[in-house]
Amino acid sequence: MKFKRRAMKADVPSVAMGDIAFNLLIFFVILAKAQDDSHLQWQPAQAKQLQGFASSKVSVLIDRENKLHLNGKEIGQAQLAKSVGEILGSAPQGDRTVLLKVHKDATAMYYEAVIEAISEAGGDLVHILEEKQ
Amino acid sequence: MQHERITKKLLVEPAAVATGDIAFNLIVFFLVCASTQPDTGKRQDLPRSEQTQKQETKNQNIELALTRTRTVVSLNGDPVKTGELPARLRRLLEGKRSPEDRVVVVKSKPDVPYDHWIATTTLIQDLGASITIQREEERTVVVGQ
Repeated sequence: MKFKRRAMKADVPSVAMGDIAFNLLIFFVILAKAQDDSHLQWQPAQAKQLQGFASSKVSVLIDRENKLHLNGKEIGQAQLAKSVGEILGSAPQGDRTVLLKVHKDATAMYYEAVIEAISEAGGDLVHILEEKQ
Repeated sequence: MQHERITKKLLVEPAAVATGDIAFNLIVFFLVCASTQPDTGKRQDLPRSEQTQKQETKNQNIELALTRTRTVVSLNGDPVKTGELPARLRRLLEGKRSPEDRVVVVKSKPDVPYDHWIATTTLIQDLGASITIQREEERTVVVGQ
């Protein structure tokens, strides 16, 4: 006597689709964040009456070791003005914000050259600071 | 005689197995939300280099020199205590109405820390003046070998 084998259905449960989609979404959000400069070591200077600024196309950072970074990637001071200018392109006036993050103990020798380069590239300079308590 | 119809309502609960998943997703969601808080800072308007040079030839601007010492700055060549700086600057800016006249030229020694520089330039901006940076140019001169 022969027994008929019943074919087993092996599907991904459709109930979990929402969960999977949500986890994928979070994964890509974190991945996108990892491309910014949040992994760099720096401590902001303090000031009063600060405004909130949303993320910008250009972020320049001078870290604890006085190393210069453009959008999270290390760059030389000589290339900064050109690179910032290329990223900003022909963006209109209100859309040319450059976030400048400088470690509080960095010296004028480093940050003044950066400020000059941003000004030369036609960027709207925003110093990223911490609210003074 | 009326017959009452008794309907049995089933209690529908979410599967308890999924509670861990839900909790995990909520944690990750709020973690991501917390890490995307906007940055805080100050906008600074700097005249472009070429414009500044033109202005300097026309007007006699206020000059502020910074050194590593946080307690004293040099205002138009005179040493001024940092605490007295707002009042002195206000006095100098009093008669100046047009934005071209209300320019303060900031000269910093190469070892001036950023927090000192930002505190001083923020003060200038809060007084309604604009700042211009004057950098010391570094030149390497090779003497004959």
